[in-house]
Amino acid sequence: MFWTLIRQELLIHLMSARFFAAVIITLVLIVANTYVLIGAHEERLSDYSQREAENRENINRTLTYSYLKLKVQRSPNPLSLFSAGLETHFGSEIDILFDSIPSLSNPLAEVKPDEEYHWLFAKVYTLSSPRAPLGLKNPYLRLFSQIDLVFIFQVVLSLLALLFAYDAIAGDSEIGTLRLVLSHPVGRGNILLAKYFAAMICLLLPALMSLLLTLIQCSFAPSLQFSTSDYLRIGGIVLTTIVYLSVFYLIGLLISTITRLTATSLMLCIFLWVILVLVYPNWSRFTLNPVGEMRAEKISANTQIAQIREEANRQRDSFLASTPLKGEPPLFTETLTLDKFYQSGGFRQGNFPRVQVELKNTVDPLVLDLRRYYDFAATLQIQTAEKIGIVGQHLVAQTSFRQSRWDERLMKLSPTSLYMFATSAWAGTDLDSMIDYIRAAQTYRTALINAFHERNAFASLQWFATNQGTIDWSILPRFHFQRADVSLSAQRALTDMFLLLGTNIVLFMATFMIFIKVEI
Amino acid sequence: MTWHIVTRELYDHLTSLRFALATIILVALMVTNAVVHLQTHPEQVRKYSEKVIASQNELKSRTQLYTLLRNGPGKLYKRPASLAFIADGGDALLPSESVSGHAWTLYGTTSIWSLGYPRLNMDAISTLRPNAAAIDWVFIITHLLSFIPLLFTFDAISGERERGTLRLCFANSISRSALLIGKFLGSLITVLITFYFAVLFNLTLISTESWTQLGAADWGRLGLIVLIASCYTGIFTAVGLIVSAMTRESRLSLVMLLLIWVTLVVFIPSTLGTLSSKWMPPVQSHYQFKTAKDAVIDQLKSNIRNQQETLKARQLKSVDTSPENAEKVDISELEIWQDFVKKDVEIQERLNRQHLAAQSAQVIRARQITRCSPAAVVQYALESMAGRGFNRHLQFLEHVNLHVRRFRDFIVEMDRGDPESLHIIGVSDGMSKKPISPEAIPIFEDKLTFQDTLNSAMMDMILLILLLSVSLSGAFLVFLRADI
Repeated sequence: MFWTLIRQELLIHLMSARFFAAVIITLVLIVANTYVLIGAHEERLSDYSQREAENRENINRTLTYSYLKLKVQRSPNPLSLFSAGLETHFGSEIDILFDSIPSLSNPLAEVKPDEEYHWLFAKVYTLSSPRAPLGLKNPYLRLFSQIDLVFIFQVVLSLLALLFAYDAIAGDSEIGTLRLVLSHPVGRGNILLAKYFAAMICLLLPALMSLLLTLIQCSFAPSLQFSTSDYLRIGGIVLTTIVYLSVFYLIGLLISTITRLTATSLMLCIFLWVILVLVYPNWSRFTLNPVGEMRAEKISANTQIAQIREEANRQRDSFLASTPLKGEPPLFTETLTLDKFYQSGGFRQGNFPRVQVELKNTVDPLVLDLRRYYDFAATLQIQTAEKIGIVGQHLVAQTSFRQSRWDERLMKLSPTSLYMFATSAWAGTDLDSMIDYIRAAQTYRTALINAFHERNAFASLQWFATNQGTIDWSILPRFHFQRADVSLSAQRALTDMFLLLGTNIVLFMATFMIFIKVEI
Repeated sequence: MTWHIVTRELYDHLTSLRFALATIILVALMVTNAVVHLQTHPEQVRKYSEKVIASQNELKSRTQLYTLLRNGPGKLYKRPASLAFIADGGDALLPSESVSGHAWTLYGTTSIWSLGYPRLNMDAISTLRPNAAAIDWVFIITHLLSFIPLLFTFDAISGERERGTLRLCFANSISRSALLIGKFLGSLITVLITFYFAVLFNLTLISTESWTQLGAADWGRLGLIVLIASCYTGIFTAVGLIVSAMTRESRLSLVMLLLIWVTLVVFIPSTLGTLSSKWMPPVQSHYQFKTAKDAVIDQLKSNIRNQQETLKARQLKSVDTSPENAEKVDISELEIWQDFVKKDVEIQERLNRQHLAAQSAQVIRARQITRCSPAAVVQYALESMAGRGFNRHLQFLEHVNLHVRRFRDFIVEMDRGDPESLHIIGVSDGMSKKPISPEAIPIFEDKLTFQDTLNSAMMDMILLILLLSVSLSGAFLVFLRADI
């Protein structure tokens, strides 16, 4: 009997015009959007390689250690096709500096925008945060928002789920077929289950078909190569999609059971859909900001940082008092006069010694003093940066990080956002993955400093003088950001998936209870 | 008879569940919009006026004509729109101030100020917060004022046909067109009642705040915006009637309508824009643009170096050291510099203009293609009306260009007024040394007149009216031929 019910329900759904229309629309949207998204990915990829080449060229052109200006990039994630998350709008390039720690954001820039100083057309911020996301050649096209594939499921298939469900019970009871069915020896729970399974199979069909189409389209694009772990992630996304669609079907079923009038049930379902899918996520992000500006924290962090800097300056001054060097660091033109000591050269402003000069005489005894000073100053500034980094990380955790976590939490009151965040966790485009990227950059910075220490670069002549010719830059460690592996991504997605699953169970239980008690 | 049908329809609709739900949603969103606007807007206005005053004070502190020319008219800021709550328009992304071009020093001579290329505010995109649309009027109108009419019309004809009441109706002496008009007006008026109600809530809240004093022109704009919204509602009411007349079942009609709605309102405005840019003439990336510009400037600099060498050689050759001759050489050198400095500004500004023109041509074309969705048309019309978004940005840049031209003319004129000056503009020694009164310096005005906004929105408004008439006549055609 159970199977007969499922078969009959399936036939009704599959033969219906609404199913046909929905499938056609989904497929058309998927194909068009995949085309757009593949193009966008290719553009990101070419932007990535261009910036890489640019950075390499910059490094090779650098003549002294101190002038080194390193940037590391996060390579574009092909799975952003499915769920863009933060991938497309969070910065993908970060400056690796000796005197600034990589961090998620730089909240200090808001309280004191002029605190940074210029360094070769780019700025050195107290905290170096990723800027300029990879992207479109014509940035003005960002005015048109891009839609990822998950968004199509999110909108179209959830609507279809509700349209399958709104008359599942109410419609049958209106026509009177429900009584007929119940006159057979079949439990009420079985009827619900049969309807549920039949509808879920029907919903899965367009989802899987569109996935297949997407994969076919991707196989034609040479730039998109999915690895095995990527397929596992896609599997996770499909799983989440099933759980998500089931939530919407059950919402519809519940409403259908309660109202028992198709007209009312339809209206309630559709308005609920508009609110959950389109209005609430935007509304919550737009209106609610429980963290607030946090100006006081930013200002206090700023004063703390100023104290750390002062302390460093005092140490520097006491060091300088014991040396024969007089005048303004880093060139000390009072002792080391321009016409006798330096041939040519320049320096960058700031406490960190960034100097590129040509010396007249490299065996001058004062050169040794200069080297000692640069070694001291660089090490001191690195330590200071680490101290500032601790204050800064604390501030970031309090402000922008907390803010985005709160945004997530509030948005997650809607199953649509739960679905969005779960899929972006699977795809590795969520906040946690961005934190991974920042951590990788921090580790890279430490590795870089260690490599410099190993070669004794801070105290070397090449730190500031070009007299010994070009530098062998192959000593630089390579940056490679490996996205978290599948199991970790699954762990991150699991909370949201459990929440969705829990919603499913609650909704089903509620529907079941009401349906058992209801009079037909 | 038509009025009889209208009143009956109205009565039916106003007492329905959907009317109640629609009213709740619209009012809630409109109130949210007003509250958020009141929280954020005064801060923006304050910051803007602070910045403008600071920049003007700096400008007035310059009394020398040459320093004025070298440092330019200072930063010029985009005035925040008083109707910012109408449309967000991606304004956070668009630059809100003018920038100055690349400056250099060569042989002790510095470049003069040139208008730079305003880059998009990439830091605004690079945020940790999840992406979301702003709840502005554009969102409310394009999403909900298209959705709600569909809910009132999907069963207008198909439902009556199912129940058999349509036949009963025609048994009386009612023409089909009268019935259609009755249905159309009935649904339209119902939706507009809820919308106007929500708008009243919104505007009452907003006008309580003294910071956002709306002028007469603003109220005129608001009137037009409401008119545009009503027109848009009419389009979707007619579309609902078309589909309802075409389908047998009201269920099918609803599904069709919802799918049409999702495509037109949610997908086309975003996807089609990016899609269409694939078939457009390519633009340079920022890096390519920068290197191309640098190459041209470098070429210019090497030219001046050569000229400088020949000049020096000539100076050495001339044995005659009488003061009158020295003066002559000096002038010819100044003229070389003037030529160079002028060319530098000219080239930089021309390249910037070309790059910007190529980029905005893409955006304009993409916008034209997305206009096949009425939601996009309304969005662009509302953005122009409210003085936000891309069109407004282009207008701002035009104002900046005008001001720069006025500023340069002013300098030339002041210089011409001084008989002691050599009238060699662009070089410190060749220009008037007379102090200028700070009041005489032209002040940047970034004002949008009502006519400007109307002009830029006119195309979209005409398009909307056209769409309305097409969809209405479509409804007539379909309904007249439909079987009952």
